[in-house]
Amino acid sequence: MDTTVRAGVGIRIEGLSKRYGEGAAAVDALKDVNMRVAPGEVVGLIGPSGSGKTTLLKCLGAITTPTRGRMTLGGELIFDQGWKISDLTVLRRDRIGFIFQAPYLIPFLDVTDNVALLPMLAGQPNAAARSRALELLQALDVAHRAGALPSELSGGEQQRVSIARALANKPPVILADEPTAPLDSERALAVMRILHQMATQYQTAIIVVTHDEKIIPTFKRLYHIRDGQTIEEAGQGRLLE
Amino acid sequence: MISLAGRDILHGWGKFVLTGLGLGLLIGVTFTMAGVYRGMVDDAMVLLNNSGADLWVVQKDTQGPYAESSSIHDDVYRNILGVPGVAQAANVTYLTMQVRRGNTDIRAMVVGFEPGLPGEPAYLVAGRRPTRSHYEAVADVMTHFSVGDRIRIRRHEYAVVGLTRRMVSSGGDPMVFIPIKDAQEAQFLKDNDAIVSERARTATNPALNRPGVPGLLEAINASQTSNHNVNAVLVRVAEGRSVEAVAQDIRRWKHLQAFTRVQMEDILIAKLIATASKQIGMFLAILMVVSAAIVAFIIYTMTLGKIREIAVLKLIGTHDLTIASMILQQALGLGAIGFVVGRIAASVWAPMFPKYVLLETGDAVLGFAVVMGMCALASTLAIRAALRVDPATAIGG
Amino acid sequence: MKFAFTVSRKVWLAGVGLALLLAFVWLASRTGPLAPIRITVTRATRGDVQPTLFGIGTVQARRDYLIGPTVAGRVKRVLVDVGDAVVPGQALAEMDPVDLDARLESADAAVARARSAVASAEAQIGDARARLALAAAEASRYQALGAQGFVGPSVVDAKRQLEQSAQAQLVAADSALASASHDVSRLQAERAAAGQQRANLRLLAPAAGVVTSRDAEPGSTVVAGQAVLRLMDPTSLWVSTRLDQNRAAGLREGLPARVTLRSSATTPLAGSVARLERVSDSVTEERIAQVSFAAPPAGLSAGEMAEVLVQLPLLHDVVLIPNAALHHRGAQPGVWRLDAGKLRFVQVKTGVEGQDGLVQVTEGLAAGDAVVLYSERELSAGSRIKVAPTLVEAAP
Repeated sequence: MDTTVRAGVGIRIEGLSKRYGEGAAAVDALKDVNMRVAPGEVVGLIGPSGSGKTTLLKCLGAITTPTRGRMTLGGELIFDQGWKISDLTVLRRDRIGFIFQAPYLIPFLDVTDNVALLPMLAGQPNAAARSRALELLQALDVAHRAGALPSELSGGEQQRVSIARALANKPPVILADEPTAPLDSERALAVMRILHQMATQYQTAIIVVTHDEKIIPTFKRLYHIRDGQTIEEAGQGRLLE
Repeated sequence: MISLAGRDILHGWGKFVLTGLGLGLLIGVTFTMAGVYRGMVDDAMVLLNNSGADLWVVQKDTQGPYAESSSIHDDVYRNILGVPGVAQAANVTYLTMQVRRGNTDIRAMVVGFEPGLPGEPAYLVAGRRPTRSHYEAVADVMTHFSVGDRIRIRRHEYAVVGLTRRMVSSGGDPMVFIPIKDAQEAQFLKDNDAIVSERARTATNPALNRPGVPGLLEAINASQTSNHNVNAVLVRVAEGRSVEAVAQDIRRWKHLQAFTRVQMEDILIAKLIATASKQIGMFLAILMVVSAAIVAFIIYTMTLGKIREIAVLKLIGTHDLTIASMILQQALGLGAIGFVVGRIAASVWAPMFPKYVLLETGDAVLGFAVVMGMCALASTLAIRAALRVDPATAIGG
Repeated sequence: MKFAFTVSRKVWLAGVGLALLLAFVWLASRTGPLAPIRITVTRATRGDVQPTLFGIGTVQARRDYLIGPTVAGRVKRVLVDVGDAVVPGQALAEMDPVDLDARLESADAAVARARSAVASAEAQIGDARARLALAAAEASRYQALGAQGFVGPSVVDAKRQLEQSAQAQLVAADSALASASHDVSRLQAERAAAGQQRANLRLLAPAAGVVTSRDAEPGSTVVAGQAVLRLMDPTSLWVSTRLDQNRAAGLREGLPARVTLRSSATTPLAGSVARLERVSDSVTEERIAQVSFAAPPAGLSAGEMAEVLVQLPLLHDVVLIPNAALHHRGAQPGVWRLDAGKLRFVQVKTGVEGQDGLVQVTEGLAAGDAVVLYSERELSAGSRIKVAPTLVEAAP
């Protein structure tokens, strides 16, 4: 089991602001947001639609440029009033793992290659990338479907493969956007359990954006976001029920 | 690194191959059109090569004998033989006419030739050369005659004794070789009804039908039904002599026109085929544009079908270059399939064309480069669309 | 399309791709300019060759007569028609004598008149002779009397002069008789000439034959030399054959020939070269030979076209190749010989050619040499070749 920890303090966001537009029509989607997530921690980000949680994800995922603030991912300062990284695509590939509402697996790649894709893009030899992929698939108990195409898998299996994909390049950070939205409570809790397990195992800092009532009690720590501002709150931490 | 383009193609290979097949047929049509043009040029070159001549002597101020009609006396060749540097000179006649076999007739160019001299067919593919001085013929295989057939040209029947290949006129009509005296008669003598009416007309003319001069009418009728003209004299220049010098001599002293090989090529290709080649050129251009449009459309549609995957790929960390290269590879792959299918299709159906279709290797290589270039260009539309995809669309809401 | 195993799908597709590529390469090598040239090969043989000369001719009558008047006139009667057989001397036609009969009568009358002039001249001679005798007798009597002195000398002279003038009258009468005789001859000759002219108006057959055309009817005017009838000797029909000058080597009188008439193309007739014209046609460059029939067929018509094959003596045991193997590169004919799979153009000298296309080779090849017979394209020394049994499919 690989427990290599990328050095650093997980996620740290300080004073992050994002303004869309200019002048009188300007909208402040994020106003001075502060967040911290430790390696191995799974933190929830809860808020209604329009609250700015998507914007925050976009800033964290280096898809949008924040207006102001500081962001540190895995110990590396990536944004300080401006991007400190030259190639954002590489940042997303190597340092951030994404889990989406739907598995969004590449339909023309088999399960192993879906997971091995990112390491291959990062320059790893195919064999090494695939063995890493198999490791993850085994850890997620879906290795028996290693050669299948995504269309042949059940929803749950696809979800687990997508989690493996997010972990493939050993990123220090994982951003999960409503990963349990389409699932029933049993499956949703199962996904949360896996996330917690992976976080601990690989010491990854995970932010889960959600408004799913079923899983909110599982978080030990929560951030509420409303009108672009976050409030930290202790969660119930009721995972193993 | 795996090939994303390859995986995508393998995943939907049926659609891809079918599209390649369709594109291939279109490209095959393009190759065939180019082959038609090359075939026309080759027909002209073969016509010049197979005559075995270095010079074509024709009527002054004409561009004959192929591009224009030319008529010279059949004893002019004796004068030409006297020009220094001339090794052989032979009379030839050319006339495109209907040749009949059984109940069907075909259009052929009837060539009057002298055995052993320039103008006779250079090689045979069946049968033998004529041994008689009249009423034996050698035909090109494109006439679909066989050795032993009896064919009818004007007033006489000829036995086909030999077959040749690639002996065609510049217009693509197959050639039938008959002895020159028979050809002169065929060019000139009409059918029985016409001859009878011509005789009657002469008999009613008091200047020609004089009762005080017995034998005059017969003599006039005889002279009206004899032909002492040929279309050209083919000249072979002696070894080591300058063809142009001999041509100049003939032009200056014999008051005839003499064309060298280079000049005949120019006449045939630049003048005779010029209009047809422009037609074909335009057609080729249109085909290329259509093919490019089809490739662009297909690749664009294929890309649009993958928009979500592209967004996800971009988001999880795939460079724009990787995505663009995937699309380009697919376009090139489509082009490669189209090229191979097109070349095979063109080779398969080319022999079925009534005229000669020549598919040159050089054209195939050029075609490959053009197809690849066209596909690359056509893919830019899809690549633009792919690059504009916002990765944020993968993250809903 | 989904398969249970990705591997097999890839293998399948790779197979299809490979097949396409192989088809492509195969096509490129078999067709188009890269393909080898297909040829057929034959061997030079030793054998006999029967050279033949070919010509076309028209059936003509050797003897052909144009029957017509020697002076312009009008046709009075035509006694025979087309197809009639005539014997020598038979009357065929008659021209209108016009005034010739009257002239004949007048000639006759002139001769009769001349004859009577002769008779009168003879009578005058008798008369002159009698006068002379009398004058001579008187003259001698008076001479005697004068000598005796019974009459004066002038009387004797006068009587002598009478005698002399009677002598002269006799001479004159003699010459009158001579001229009258000449007159008779002249007039007789004129009468004969008129008679001949009259006879000329009767057109007679000069020899036995058949009438081939009747060109003028009674009443038509013809000029001298124009034909009224044409005759032909049907036993003298032969074929006037024209042979190309450059393919008439060895032609001589007496050679056997086969004549194929247009009207009976399937049954050739035997014949031989009866006469070779000493004057050839320089415009059409043909020699003319007259070929007679061994047994002239019935119903032969003059003017019919015929094809004539003159057979030259058989040549034994010569090297032969089919004439399709001969090519003219430059002035010299030659063949493409296959030496251990390589092409080489060998110049040959040729002799005679048989009707079936076998040509005698006098120099350049030996029996058994392999030569290229048919080829798909013009060959050159470095051409890639492929030997095939035949180049054209047999007709269905």
